Amino acid sequence: MAQTPEEDSPKRGFLLQIAKYSQLAFVLPAATAIGWLVGAGLDRWLHTTWLYLVGLILGIVAGFVDLIRTVMADSK
Amino acid sequence: MPEQLWITQFLNSFLAGPVTALLRSLHIEPHHPQAPITNSVAMQILVVAFLVLVFAIVRSRLSVDSPRALQHIFEGAQGFVEGQSHEIIGAHSEGFTPFLMALGLFILISNLIGLIPGFESPTAVSTVPLGCAICAFIYYNYHGLKHSGLAYFKHFVGPLPALAPLMIPIEIISHLARVMSLTIRLYANMFAGDMVTLAFFSLIPLLLPVGFLGLHIFVSFLQAYIFLLLTTVYLSGAVAEEH
Repeated sequence: MAQTPEEDSPKRGFLLQIAKYSQLAFVLPAATAIGWLVGAGLDRWLHTTWLYLVGLILGIVAGFVDLIRTVMADSK
Repeated sequence: MPEQLWITQFLNSFLAGPVTALLRSLHIEPHHPQAPITNSVAMQILVVAFLVLVFAIVRSRLSVDSPRALQHIFEGAQGFVEGQSHEIIGAHSEGFTPFLMALGLFILISNLIGLIPGFESPTAVSTVPLGCAICAFIYYNYHGLKHSGLAYFKHFVGPLPALAPLMIPIEIISHLARVMSLTIRLYANMFAGDMVTLAFFSLIPLLLPVGFLGLHIFVSFLQAYIFLLLTTVYLSGAVAEEH
């Protein structure tokens, strides 16, 4: 390769940041949707009517946990 | 009957019977028993066949003294993936390079093949990126388990045992969301890229679509790279020492 790993490193770090932060835009709605889907699936399976709401809330929380975790990891 | 590419027609003309029989034996009724192979499946078969052929050619012409252009390209790609995984995962990352390289090349060729007239990008169909994301998900969890044993599940519990009933579902949702976000990102980008290129080709068939083709090539490389990078990041999280 033309560049040594050391020379290539800042560019890769920059691309890694782009990938990580652009992922946040997808993780938040994806976690919400997954939470709702899991909850709705459990509702159908257990014949209940409220687990979709629990799943939805847990999904939103999971999205925010991931968001905060990523930001905290980079600000250390 | 759905619209079929020439390669799909070719495969269906030979394999429709056995594939339909196989699906029925698994209690799956194909929508079109005369043509059970879809365009995306046919394109995936083509991509895999192309990669196997290229690697067979590179393997047969390997030379230390006078490496050819193809060997240089693949050595460069292998060095790039290896360097990146070493940087993110750390020591002992070499074992992951074959999977990461295969995944990255499959996605890249799948993204780019749609630019050739008569072909379609399989990654512009949602089930293909989903399959790739599920492979990545299984792979990093398998290596997490292999590396840490049952201690791997500790990071699902969270920092405090008292919070475990809350943290376990949150962590499970968070991991499943990774699969969904990887899928949507790749699928949406490739589908949108195909649609934009097609729309401008039908509106203004001269010059302007070239710019969009260039953009499509850039997006193809970028999305394959981001998929690879995020899989490496998840893998590094799964095999990190603190678990």
